[in-house]
Parts: sequence; C-alpha cells; structure tokens
Amino acid sequence: MTLAITLVVLTLIKATPIVYAALGGVISERSGVINIGLEGMMVAGAFFAVIVSYATGSPVLGLVAGIAAGAAFGYVLALAATRFKVDQIVAGMGINLICTGGAAYGLVLLFNQPGASVQVRALGSNYWALVVLAFALAGALHVVLYRTPWGLRVRACGENPFAVTSAGLNPLLLRTYAVVLSGALAGLGGAFLSIGELNLYSEGMTAGRGFIALAAVIFGRWTPLGASGAALVFGLFEALQFVLEGRIAWLPPSAMSALPYVAALIALAGITGKVRPPKADGVPY
Amino acid sequence: MKRTLSTLSGPLGAILLIVVLMSLAMVVAGTSPIDGFSALFLGALGGRNELGETLVATTSLLFPALGITLAFRAGLFNIGAEGQLLMGGLFAGAVGAAIALPPAIEITLLLLLGAVGGGIWGGIAGWMKARFGASEIIATLMLNFVAAFLALDLVSGPLKGPLASGAETAWLAPQYWLPTLLPHTRLSIGLVVALAIAVVLQFVFTRTVFGYDLRAVGEAPEAARRSGVDLRRLTWLSLALSGAIAGVGGAVIVTGELHRFNTQLSPGYGFTAIAVALVGDLNPLWVCVAAFGFGILEAGGLAMQASAQVPKDAIHLIEGLIILVLAARRYVAAGTEVA
Repeated sequence: MTLAITLVVLTLIKATPIVYAALGGVISERSGVINIGLEGMMVAGAFFAVIVSYATGSPVLGLVAGIAAGAAFGYVLALAATRFKVDQIVAGMGINLICTGGAAYGLVLLFNQPGASVQVRALGSNYWALVVLAFALAGALHVVLYRTPWGLRVRACGENPFAVTSAGLNPLLLRTYAVVLSGALAGLGGAFLSIGELNLYSEGMTAGRGFIALAAVIFGRWTPLGASGAALVFGLFEALQFVLEGRIAWLPPSAMSALPYVAALIALAGITGKVRPPKADGVPY
Repeated sequence: MKRTLSTLSGPLGAILLIVVLMSLAMVVAGTSPIDGFSALFLGALGGRNELGETLVATTSLLFPALGITLAFRAGLFNIGAEGQLLMGGLFAGAVGAAIALPPAIEITLLLLLGAVGGGIWGGIAGWMKARFGASEIIATLMLNFVAAFLALDLVSGPLKGPLASGAETAWLAPQYWLPTLLPHTRLSIGLVVALAIAVVLQFVFTRTVFGYDLRAVGEAPEAARRSGVDLRRLTWLSLALSGAIAGVGGAVIVTGELHRFNTQLSPGYGFTAIAVALVGDLNPLWVCVAAFGFGILEAGGLAMQASAQVPKDAIHLIEGLIILVLAARRYVAAGTEVA
C-alpha cells in the first residue's frame, strides 16, 4: 500500500516538469511554431532560477527569473520563426546549444566549478504548489485555447495563418505571444527541477525532458489535457525506475531509464497517421 | 537590418562573427582576446601534437556532419547523429574485441560494421517515417537516448572487457588499430576515409540520379513524387545512409583513437556537426573546411581553458549562436534572390 502511495506521489512530482514543457509545446505548435528548443529553455529556466536565488537569497525571485529566462529564449525563437523565417528546427537546435553551452560557461564563470552550482535556497515544501499549478494550468490552457477568442485566434494561426490575416489580425504577433508563453512554461518546468525538486543546478539535469515533452504533445493530440495526460505516463515511467530499483535483479538499471524513450518511439509509430497535427505547424508565414 | 545581415553572408562573415563572439566570451571571462586567441591557436596548431589533435577532432566531426548533410539535402532532419555515432562505435568495438582476422580485413570489416550500426539506427527512424509518417525529428532525438542507455547497459554487462575497470569493452589488439596518418600523434587514416566520403558525396549530389532525387525531394516533395520518385524508399534510404556515414565515424573513433569502445566516445560531436553542416552550406567540400574550423575550436578550446582560463563551454554557446545567425542569413540570401 505504501508502495502504491509512493508511486503516485513520485509520478506527480516527476510528471510536473514534463507537464509544463508539454503545455509550452502545445501552445507553440497550436500557433504554428514547432518548439524544439524546449529542452534549452528548460535549462535556461533551471540555471537562472538558481543564479537569482543564489544572488538574492529568494527562491521565489529565482522562480520568476527562471520563467523570464525561458520566455526570453522563447522570444528569440519567435523572432527567428516570424521575422527572419528561419527554419524552426534549426533555430530550436541552436537555442538548445546556446542554453546548454551557456549554462556550462556560466557555471565556471560564476562558481568557478564545472558540473554543478553550489547549493542555493530552494522552494522547500512550497514546491507542491507548483505541482498543483501544473495541472491547474493544463485545465486553464484548455479553456483558453478552446473557449476564448484569443485561443481560437492562436489555433487559427496554426491551421491557416492567411485566414487570420484576412480577419484583420496579425498572425506573426499571435505566434510571438504563443512562443514566448511556451518558453515561459518551459522555463518554469526547468526552475521546478532546480529549485523545486533540488536546490542546485547541475549539468544535464533536464535529461531530455524537453524532448520527451515534444513526444507528449503528439500523444496528447496537441491538446493541453491530452499532453498533460501523456506527461503523466512519462512521469510514471520515471517514478517506476525509483520504485523498482533493486527489486528486479535481472533488469539492468539503464534499461529502465531507456523505457520512456522506447515507449515514446513505439507510441510515435503507433499514433502517427491517426492524429493530425495543426496544418500550418512548422510552416513559416 | 537586412543589409547588416547580408554582409555576414559567406564564409568570411561566419569567421568574423565567430571571432567577435569568441572575443566577447574571453572578455567576459576576464581574459584579453589577444591572450585568448593565442592560447586557442597555439593549442590547436602550435605543433605536431596540437595539429594532430585538431585533425582528430576534425575527423570526428566530419563523419556526422557529412551524414547530416545528406539527410538535410533530402529535407530530413537527422538530429540523431550522436546516437548513430555511438552505435557505429559500439558495433565496431564489440566485434573488434572479440574476433581475430588478418588485420587489413578486420579493420575494413570494423569500419563497415560501424556503417551497419549507424545505418540501423538511422534506418529505424527512416523506416518509422516511411512506414508510419512518424516525425524523424522526434524519432532521431529519442533514438539518441536509447542508444546511450543501450550502449551503457551492454558495456556494463555482457560486452564489458574482462580487465576493464569502467564501462568499456576490451581493448583492440594493436594490429587492429587504424594506421597512424601523422607519426607520433593520435591522427589515424580515418581522416582520409572521411575526405573520401566527402568527395563521393559531392559526386553523388551533382552527378547522379539519386543525388538529383534527393534534392528534388528536399525542395519539392510533391513535385518529386509526381515525377515518379519513390518517396518512401528515398526517405528510409537517405536516413539509413546518413546514419551509416555517422556510424563509420564512431568506428573510426574506436579503431583509430580509443582502441576500445566506451560510452564517452563523443562529447556531443553529433550535435556540433549540425553547426558544421550548416556552416558548410550542406556542400560536402565546404563541410570539410568547416569541420577543420570547428576542429580548431574543439582542440584549441581545451588549451584556451587551461592557459587563458576561458571556459571551453563558451565554444558550444558560440556554436549555437552561429547556427541561429547562419539560419537567419539563409533567409536573407533567399530574400535578395527573389528581389
């Protein structure tokens, strides 16, 4: 029984950063921009949250900084995708390199040590609020996307931006808002990892969650609730690793770590063709 | 804005940009650019050993960059070169430590096995794309992680060398090491193999039907399909070939440098190679030049860190910026063409 409770609790905690990033992925792709830079934006969020918490002693300010850092890189991607019509995948990969390389550079500059930052003040038990917030935001984003005029406009940008223009709106501006929001969400997810679950930044701590989130977006059929559900499944895989560790002797530990990625691949093959991405997803306007 | 950006076009602009960004990274780290660059260049080109290490890095980058070039030409985003490199190295390392054939035959076999390992890994993504329409971007990304965990499991368990202390295979016997190209350095004839592949690719792109189809599919898939190109076949084939080229790179690292397989085979070559392919404008011959440039950064970066106290990670930061700016430059160049 206690095992079951541990599993549920761990699943929620492990799913939370993926939920944030996946929501970021949904809003961005719904507007027609593929955000492959989610991983880098999570890194930026995790890194700056720690830096600001270290500098000010306030983890709440750190959290705000993490969100802002993610949003800033969201804006970079938005600029690249809208004003410069750069290929979105290339730009996103560039952002990933900038963030991971930049964080490693920053670690050495600021803390004079590679690999990890010093320990900083973290959110402590308050991080449960962020777990709840993740799922609340999933519901809220669902309402915004499907029940508000703004949501309709954003979705229209992802389906047919030309129609948005004929309706007298600016799809490039709407896409910019959506991608900045996407970055902010990813930054929040990253900050949850560094000053929520832990109290420091260490290299590789995002461990591909931004990429897993992209898969969650697909399995969730580009809807906030669906993507969050998929994120929960990925969270469960991660939680299982901790719970089962040492209990199944014949299973090598890294096979368990590979499980979410293998599951993502199988599901990707199984679900593609049965779901339809936004029509103008990834297409520059 | 447009004008400023278009002056950045061309390799000269790219170099200028790199110099400016590097100087900035050095100043921020509290080192004068003169000291920083002299440390970088001395570390990369200052002697036989340094040049050797630079060319080793060039070789390791060139294979995945050429693979990526092929896939990008077909309009396919292969972001999985890192995993393909690893699988190529794993195949070569596992078999190389286990069998004993005449050296020339075994070395050739190991390089081919590298191609098989990387080819399978690229091919899985290609098959998923061709068969199910699954995004090759997500598939290649996921396969990177699967490759890393699979390799770690195998070399921690069944493939672990009997005398190995860490997670690695047994060492290859010296007669199965790739012959050295530059005496008294770690540079192997792998560099020649990479350059040969570049020449072959250039020929394929410009002089063969397959190369033409590749470009047609990359630029206008619908038109290519209507003119009779088998899109599915071309999709899995180009991703498999792309992975195979990266995989040979993994085998070259194993047989030429490490002389065994371990999971630290690549410090992100597969990702840096994306920048290399883009800086080389997806032209195999320019990609070779770009790989040398990035080889200088990779090898010199370590020296720069040691003697000028500029963190070598600055180089990855700069690579990301280069990718962004070059991608923007492409748009500007295309825009001026239309106008």
